[in-house]
Amino acid sequence: MAFNVLVVDDSAVMRQMIVRTLKMSGLPLGTVHEAGNGEEGLFVLQDQWVDLLLLDINMPVMNGEEMLRRLRASPETETLPVIVVSTEGSETRLAALHELGAAIVRKPFAPETLRDTIIRVTGVSDAEYYGPVAVADDSGDF
Amino acid sequence: MPSTMDLSLSQTTAATFEELALLFPEQELSPEQTVAPLDVTVSVDFRGPFAGRLVLSASACVLPVIASNMLGEAGRRASPLQRDALGEIANVICGNVLPAIAGAEAVFHLNAPRIHDAGESASRDNDAPSAQVQFGVEDGRVLSTLYVFGTVLVRATVA
Repeated sequence: MAFNVLVVDDSAVMRQMIVRTLKMSGLPLGTVHEAGNGEEGLFVLQDQWVDLLLLDINMPVMNGEEMLRRLRASPETETLPVIVVSTEGSETRLAALHELGAAIVRKPFAPETLRDTIIRVTGVSDAEYYGPVAVADDSGDF
Repeated sequence: MPSTMDLSLSQTTAATFEELALLFPEQELSPEQTVAPLDVTVSVDFRGPFAGRLVLSASACVLPVIASNMLGEAGRRASPLQRDALGEIANVICGNVLPAIAGAEAVFHLNAPRIHDAGESASRDNDAPSAQVQFGVEDGRVLSTLYVFGTVLVRATVA
């Protein structure tokens, strides 16, 4: 299954870094959409099918926490897998985001941390991720 | 002896450059690094239990390497992207150093990074830095400075 991703971050550099990490990860990617704040992100979700949301918190116009609350209040998006990718260090705020069903990846992140979190929250299987595994013929002599 | 704030800023700045830009800042600067000019400055304002500003300055020669490591070859060629990449590093340093100083319960709001014109001061009048660290990076250097406007009770224990 190739999955469509929406990356919401007010930093074009960070969006580019996340998209680059996604492309290098080997995950089965479909379309990657981008938005610069929570409001823009909600507009994208009105028109596009998205399987995974990567969301920053500190953004102008509408921050990530507000966007997440609106998503969870809507039947169409209440179960959408969400990974918050943020510098946010407040345990109070992180607990609130956890309550809303989001996984957390703190910036700065290692590419494998983001990849492993995506695998965990999307449930993509090893077979889908790595492709079919060749089984060795064990009849040969060593 | 460095203060808790200095140590927090030093650890956070070094870790951010390592993990985000794949660079290893050196605490001992070479003679060439010591005299390298600081050509570009970015800052991030914040407010919360206390308000202030994180300022990050870097030598021009460091920028293409940072941008290239963060964004690939496109970053090496585009000058605006290079400054934005430095801004993102400042944003991440700021977001990580504040909980280290104020405690994990504190909630801060960070403004978007601002790029300062050459010669423009990134500090307010009469502000003295609350913490400042310098590292050698590639053939240049970076200077990370934290201004706190008002007073702050330092809570963190630096590992």
